[in-house]
Amino acid sequence: MKVLSAEGEVALKEVDAVIAAPTAAQVSLRRLRRLKWGLAAAAILLLIVGSAVLAPWLAPFDPLAVNIRHRLAPPAWLEGGTPQHLLGTDQIGRDLLSRMIFGGRVSLIVGVASVMISASLGVLLGLTAGYFGGRVDWTVMTLVNVTLTFPFVLLALAVIAVLGPSLTNMIFVLGIAGWPIYTRVIRAETMALREREFIVAARALGMSHARIMLGQILPNLVSAITVIGTLQVAQVIILESFLSFLGLGIQPPTPAWGNMLGEGRVYMLNSWWIAASPGAAIFITTLVINLMGNALRDWLDPHMKL
Amino acid sequence: MGRLAASGSALLLALGLLAPAEVPAQTKDDTVVYAIQSDMQNWDPPNSVLRESIILGYHVFDHLAARDLKTGKVGPGLAVSWRNVDDTTWEVKLRKGVKFHDGTPFGAKDVKATFDRVLNPENKLTARGNHAKIKSVEVVDDLTARFKTDGPYPLFVERMTAQVMQSEKVMKEKGHEWMQENPIGTGPYKLVKWSKKQEHLLVRNDDYWGPKPQFKYARIRIIPEQATQIAELISGGVDVIKAVPPDQMDVINKSGQARTASSPILRTAMLQLDQAARSGPNPFTDVRVRKAANLAVDMNSIIKHVINGLGDRTATVVNPMAFGFDPSVKPYTQDAAAAKKLLAEAGYPNGVEVGFLTGPPIVEPAVQQTSEAISADLDKVGIRTKKRYVGEIGPYVNLVRDGKGGPMFEWSWGYYSVFDADAILYDVMKCGEAYSYYCNKALDDLIIQGRSTLDQKQRTEIYQKVQKLLSDDAAYIYKWGLRGVWGISNRIEYAAPRDEVDRMFTVTSRKK
Amino acid sequence: MKRYVLRQLVQLVVVIIGISILSFGILYVLGDPVLLLLPQNAGKEEYERYHRLLGLDKPLYVQYWKFASKAVQGDFGKSWYADTPAFRLVLERMPPTLYLTSAGLVTALLIALPLGILAALKRHSFLDNLCTMIAVAGQAVPIFWLGIMLIIIFAVRLKALPASGYGTWQHFLMPAFCLGAFLAPITMRLVRSGVVEVMNMEFIKTARAKGVGERMVVIKHAFRNACIPVITVLGLQFGQLLGGAIVTETVFAWPGVATLAVDSIRNQDFPVVQCSVVLLALLIVSINFVVDMIVALIDPRIRVGA
Repeated sequence: MKVLSAEGEVALKEVDAVIAAPTAAQVSLRRLRRLKWGLAAAAILLLIVGSAVLAPWLAPFDPLAVNIRHRLAPPAWLEGGTPQHLLGTDQIGRDLLSRMIFGGRVSLIVGVASVMISASLGVLLGLTAGYFGGRVDWTVMTLVNVTLTFPFVLLALAVIAVLGPSLTNMIFVLGIAGWPIYTRVIRAETMALREREFIVAARALGMSHARIMLGQILPNLVSAITVIGTLQVAQVIILESFLSFLGLGIQPPTPAWGNMLGEGRVYMLNSWWIAASPGAAIFITTLVINLMGNALRDWLDPHMKL
Repeated sequence: MGRLAASGSALLLALGLLAPAEVPAQTKDDTVVYAIQSDMQNWDPPNSVLRESIILGYHVFDHLAARDLKTGKVGPGLAVSWRNVDDTTWEVKLRKGVKFHDGTPFGAKDVKATFDRVLNPENKLTARGNHAKIKSVEVVDDLTARFKTDGPYPLFVERMTAQVMQSEKVMKEKGHEWMQENPIGTGPYKLVKWSKKQEHLLVRNDDYWGPKPQFKYARIRIIPEQATQIAELISGGVDVIKAVPPDQMDVINKSGQARTASSPILRTAMLQLDQAARSGPNPFTDVRVRKAANLAVDMNSIIKHVINGLGDRTATVVNPMAFGFDPSVKPYTQDAAAAKKLLAEAGYPNGVEVGFLTGPPIVEPAVQQTSEAISADLDKVGIRTKKRYVGEIGPYVNLVRDGKGGPMFEWSWGYYSVFDADAILYDVMKCGEAYSYYCNKALDDLIIQGRSTLDQKQRTEIYQKVQKLLSDDAAYIYKWGLRGVWGISNRIEYAAPRDEVDRMFTVTSRKK
Repeated sequence: MKRYVLRQLVQLVVVIIGISILSFGILYVLGDPVLLLLPQNAGKEEYERYHRLLGLDKPLYVQYWKFASKAVQGDFGKSWYADTPAFRLVLERMPPTLYLTSAGLVTALLIALPLGILAALKRHSFLDNLCTMIAVAGQAVPIFWLGIMLIIIFAVRLKALPASGYGTWQHFLMPAFCLGAFLAPITMRLVRSGVVEVMNMEFIKTARAKGVGERMVVIKHAFRNACIPVITVLGLQFGQLLGGAIVTETVFAWPGVATLAVDSIRNQDFPVVQCSVVLLALLIVSINFVVDMIVALIDPRIRVGA
């Protein structure tokens, strides 16, 4: 957004801080209160990640074990359900609880891996654009616009439809499609930092551009990157489920929340629990990630533009 | 804020009203609505392999002969009688007073023009293979046509139900391109509008020579999502849907708005194994591996539990309703130990990994679930399948046709609605045919013999031998003859068609 | 101002050229373009003819020029699946998608604007937190689950609306709401952060310092200027809409161009893929351009000179 110049921004922030500064005690209290959501979310996320890691020991059944005599069994608390299969079974008798736990592994791996790829790409490009400005900046921003304009969905579909659906292809596609978000923010922050005294000093000392970008500017951006990355993981998980809905994600029988939802969607009218458990899993996971990310942002830098 | 909301809502409504109104306004009472999952590519039936093309073709066009759905026998259509003049000549007498939708009278010249066009290799029409035995068609007089065949052609009568009659005038004056979107037939309905991938609107042909449809309009809606189709049926938006997955039958039956009806259909399902190595070397070239695969699977249990009994187990690819079916050939009984032993003998003591091509559940609604169950059984004896899913029926069929389907893939065959063993054997079992991955000279000889004699008793014996061969050699993993399930609205009467061809022109309202 | 318009125009042209290069290039990345463009049953003579027709023996830039010059005239070749010109196919299916996405945007705004502004004004209050929670939760719901749930509730249970299809305003409501609900959460958060930022600006403080009543501050100054980030946000969202539109169109059997693009990718019908990608991108870029122009008209800082 083309609003104020970098100097204006900084000046305004300082004024703001002076005007609005409450007492130290009030600040800490407010912060802690806002944080409580974030802490709760982080705790739940830890549970989810933990269960994904400990899946082979936690899951009551083999997620691939087919048992056609017990197919379409409802969850334990409904009529027809058994305590054996807590969340019920799917259309060929596989235990849904086990599949949900194992499915978490795939979703989290895809989320984290692709975010790491897009973050690396995006941050690098954002640093370069913000630091050098001018033509370089214009080129990068045009690239950003082209990528953002090109419907990501079509790109993902085209690539996967040709390369074939697999874990690595998905991570690859989701990784290279997500970089513009980082670039925009990093670029803005880099531009703001570029004129600060310690950077000017470093330049005067003769430090190379690379060292300045990576050694001096980058550390200040860690909080921004972390927040964006966290929120992006949630986005990617949803995108994975969307690709699986179209049949281009992780292929069955490997359990992944996305393809479980896709397989379950025909059954939504009667055996609704098949789609409900992966749906709930996606919902809760992305919810807590978002909450945690928001809390993180509020804690690290409330004025961050995201 | 209130003003904003008001103007926003007004904008929304305005946008909605702007949405173009449909062509002639139909009411619920004069329109019957039929849903299909995917649209056809064109309105030129000989130029398409899709079942939707066949079905819609029945509405706008007529065939020389028609099948009586209750008895299953072939009766008169545009042809009123036929006979063999000699072993290689059939003479057909045509119905008087039939007109095309554009007013042109129908006659023998149109029969000749239709077949000439289909049989001409330069036109590359997909229907050519079906009528390859016809050498030429002669016009004897306005209402009589003579077919010269390449040797005796016992399937002639059955195949007369499988070719629509098109207008010579249209072919000459309008040409191939025009015909792709503008069907001019003699049938009970005429095409009013085709909104691609959305819907077709048909209107009753009031000059039709046969029984006129009760409903003035027929709408064929394309609804890709199975769940949406069912939702539409039970909320009254659609009157007939086909290929209902067995698992969803209770939703429809409990709704109070609609009911399900099922019928055994000709469509037979199987898993083709690449014995002919069309896609390259693979374990299934060895008969022991193929036998092991058939022995590994508890097919009866899968039919009972996964598709709720809506399948009739077949010992080979020949359907129980087809001429030539031999009930004395028994299907494989599950024997996992024997399967493992055979695999070890064939050189795979620790099992083997094979690729498995799977497709979308368009004609076989529960195919994803049954394939998973079959894979699980195969896996237990050591045949580990690695699935490859192609989500669109078009590319799937193309892959198979181009020899890229192996080593194992899902397949089913509708027999082109011809109730004869030859209708599947030639296309799906004969060496070198586009959709066949099996090569066995002894079988080929039998197939040729079977279609070269008019003696039904002889043919029965030949097909008995065929089925014994197919079973002993475990050519494919044999599954079952499907039972089609239809969802039918309670406001209409409609019978599930055993030839898998839906006929909206037979729909009548239910008496209250 | 003129310089600004010019700069944006240049960027628009560059982006369009970039997109066209991408669509042109897809074919080469994916394999032999002749094989991909021809119907499957073509013979060897057809292959040779097409090879010469496409000018594949000539250097790449010549080929691209041919593609581009034909594309500008609306000639994208024939869809081999449907045997009709690709351009006509895509154009036929544009209006339904346009209606749907416009309606979705309007719905999203109807939900997001009031909530976002309220949340921004009453920052850190209970209302704000609630809205944030709803937004975060809303972002976590898979859109096709929402679509099918809507059908089950309104069409099956209540029988109030038709389950799917296109034609009357009743057919319109659920898909528009589905898409709108899909967009609303992120739009709300962007509105909120945009308004927050504006509220902190100098001229607001000036107005407050001048003693203007809070209400006037909000209505006159803040709201008008908040439009800027909101409109900018809208422009960005149109590209995102495509993903939502694909699923909505599939679930509701809506005959739009999004499903056409997806189907043609899966059917490997590349003339249609190319055509739909280029036309869609053109649409998005044009909208972004119009949005930028509107913002430029409103925002005095850009008008005066940047």
